Amino acid sequence: MTAERAILTTSRLTMRFGGVVAVDQVDFTLKTGELRCLIGPNGAGKSTFFKCLTGQLKPTAGSILFADRELSGKNTHDIVRQGIGIKTQVPNLFDGLPARENIALSARQRHSQKRSEEITDEMLELIRITALAHREVGSLAHGERQLIELAMVLAGQPRLVLLDEPAAGMTAEERGRLASALRDLAGRMSLIVVEHDMQFIKDIATEITVFHRGRVFIEGDVAEIMAHHEVQEIYLGKEADGAA
Amino acid sequence: MLSKVSKDWLGAGFVTVLGLAILIFVPILFDLFEVLQMTKYVVLSLFVLSLAYIWGFGGILSFGQAGFFGLGGYVFAVAAINMGQTTVPFLIAIGACALFAAALGYFMFYGRLNDVYLGVVTLVVTLILWKLINHTAGPEYIIGKARLGGFNGIPSIPIMTLPWRPGQEMEPAQMFQYFMAILIAVYVLLHALIKSKFGRVAISIRENEVRTGLLGYDVRFYKLCIFSIGGAIGGAAGAMWASYQTFVDPNIFSLEWSAKCLIWVMAGGVGTLFGPIVGVLALEYLSFQLGQTELINNLIVLGTILIFLVLLLPKGLFPTARDLVVKVWRRRGGSTGKGSP
Repeated sequence: MTAERAILTTSRLTMRFGGVVAVDQVDFTLKTGELRCLIGPNGAGKSTFFKCLTGQLKPTAGSILFADRELSGKNTHDIVRQGIGIKTQVPNLFDGLPARENIALSARQRHSQKRSEEITDEMLELIRITALAHREVGSLAHGERQLIELAMVLAGQPRLVLLDEPAAGMTAEERGRLASALRDLAGRMSLIVVEHDMQFIKDIATEITVFHRGRVFIEGDVAEIMAHHEVQEIYLGKEADGAA
Repeated sequence: MLSKVSKDWLGAGFVTVLGLAILIFVPILFDLFEVLQMTKYVVLSLFVLSLAYIWGFGGILSFGQAGFFGLGGYVFAVAAINMGQTTVPFLIAIGACALFAAALGYFMFYGRLNDVYLGVVTLVVTLILWKLINHTAGPEYIIGKARLGGFNGIPSIPIMTLPWRPGQEMEPAQMFQYFMAILIAVYVLLHALIKSKFGRVAISIRENEVRTGLLGYDVRFYKLCIFSIGGAIGGAAGAMWASYQTFVDPNIFSLEWSAKCLIWVMAGGVGTLFGPIVGVLALEYLSFQLGQTELINNLIVLGTILIFLVLLLPKGLFPTARDLVVKVWRRRGGSTGKGSP
């Protein structure tokens, strides 16, 4: 069954900055169509892990196998063309352009002008941001920018989407809209979501991977991780007791 | 309601019609001296377009655009002196500058040089060319019939000949019209390029290089193409300059030319094609008039004007004027899209 096949496998993936090991021999597997959340304190190596996956950083050692192809050492644009899209921690947009053009630029990479316009309309509707279509993104609020970046990434029709803190700075309404969109997407594509908001994680995910000091500390389902004593103590704090 | 295509071409169409009117009527309405003076402005307008495009629409700030201007002039001079006609040498000069830009660009963009480093490298390469040409005064520096002449330059460069009659030199009015036609053609082609997929990606690189790469576009390749196009246009302007002056010397590579080009673009408006042409016309005309008065050093006056422009009109002359017109138009109940002529 395809759904059980791994779309992404990293083996002993390592990223060093001088004497600092930001990602330390990470073995990670994601099944096709799975939505996985990554959690961990600041500096745990989650964003660096994402940057290695997208070629923004060249890993010091280890391998990245995506859909049976080795990605380690490849350029960012090659990796993205293989089907990986990323929504970065700080919204990374074309501030001087309208939202619509931001999204269309992503679709245009693979499609004709006409088709990319259609995809843009679909994405605006999917994320429910049609009202923002003609607004210059530099003038929008942080939460709106997050949603536009998500639409932009999805317009590239990736097979794997990496989302780095997608709900940060969003209103409750926007957060609900995002959670609903992500639940819809899971199954149709694979997703890895880095997030700190445990309620949001509970809303979208079943599986969680905990990063700590550049390593995979523990993996398991939401209930298991939230009940895990060490995880609670180190990463979630006392609030998690109630949430779990 | 105007369609998107019509809106895209409204401003450019207006500029093109204006250009064609100038091409037709200037030789009829003005005397020989004025036509020659305006020919100079046309050549410099083409030169400024080379930087206006790569900086305004590709985000590549080159401090050494004079390098292509000078190289185009020298390649044209050597080829034209040897071949006795100008059409093929003109094409050779354009091709040589495009190739030189591609070679330089390859090392810069594939070597991931950016921002200030890119400016430093382009400036240094131009100054190296300046030094190099300055040291070619000896009799051994001869290419065919053309002596490079070192700091004395190359005199007696052929005036542009008619493409369909290679032995016949152009009259001043014909040369003005020929250069003007080239300027209009380059303007229209650049506008079409900006509105194409290539142009949209180039603008996205200017806006956010990292994100453009993360959308799957090979940023290095696009920048290389943009830079090469700018080099080719700069080379064409250099060839036209050499033919217009019938003389070229190493000062064509000097910092002054690179700086002037930057100032014209800044004054006219980065991010437009027409603005920098306005910058050339305004500042060069002013410079010419100040030079005639001999009351005050024109560089001091120009410097002061530039400071005021940067402080009061940071967008540049043309975008400020355009925004003002749009504002007034909207207040009167009209609506218009902002083009990028």
